[in-house]
Amino acid sequence: MIEEVVRYVGLAIVVAGCSVNLIGAIGLNRFRNFYLRLHAATVSTIGGTFYPLVGLALVAFSSSELGSARFFMGGVLLVAAFLLLMLAPAGSHALARATHRAGVARPEPAIADHLSEDRGG
Amino acid sequence: MRRYVPVALLVFVVYIVFSGSVSPYDIVIGAVLAVAVSALTTRFLVSDGGKALSLRRLANLVKYALYYLTVAEFKAHSLVIRIILSRDMPVRPAIVRVPYRAKNPYTIVGSANSITNTPGTVVVDLDTGRSVFYVHWIRAVGLDPETTYREILKVFEEGLSKVFE
Repeated sequence: MIEEVVRYVGLAIVVAGCSVNLIGAIGLNRFRNFYLRLHAATVSTIGGTFYPLVGLALVAFSSSELGSARFFMGGVLLVAAFLLLMLAPAGSHALARATHRAGVARPEPAIADHLSEDRGG
Repeated sequence: MRRYVPVALLVFVVYIVFSGSVSPYDIVIGAVLAVAVSALTTRFLVSDGGKALSLRRLANLVKYALYYLTVAEFKAHSLVIRIILSRDMPVRPAIVRVPYRAKNPYTIVGSANSITNTPGTVVVDLDTGRSVFYVHWIRAVGLDPETTYREILKVFEEGLSKVFE
């Protein structure tokens, strides 16, 4: 009984994550410039990858037909989700910082750019 | 000596979760790895062993993680998803200054990670001399430091200060 509940909660999280991933992809196409697209990419990374990994871990833990291998699979998924949560923002930040420094994409339209003001640009 | 415990514990827990077994083989390998990694890296990672082992701080970290992974992420996702799916995409983008008060590097990195991991805000740069994050904000409510601090950083910094400061 409890295994069924855990499995269906996990599957529900995976389905929700897939929908969020699709919306993130639509946003990536619809947004106008690099910085706005970065927000759509964050939607896909966290809502579309982190939560589904946790959901898959729940599915793995509830699959008793796998025997003791389910703890290995679930553990790997949880560690992967944790590492993603810690490391993904470093990638987004590096992209944003490098783009702003090099000036290859202007943050326009924008109502203010305090970073350029403080750099004297 | 107590300084070396937190890193060793973390490595051991990650190893056991990753291998998914508590057989004697895995426990011995995990313990050996934990001691070796801790001996090599603790001097870069931990300055106050008592703080890292405090149960009250651990409880605060769990509380913060639960709040962040449910309420904060849900709010941020629903805002950006609504913008993506609406017909005219009502964005008000700006790169704003967000002053931070934290002194501990773990709190600063933790808040910056929390900001970047919520859709709608990305830390573009930071100035440690002036204690300012430069945040690209998809729907800027205001540009003055009080508003940006209250809207973007306040809950994250207050939650993490109880863990690391």
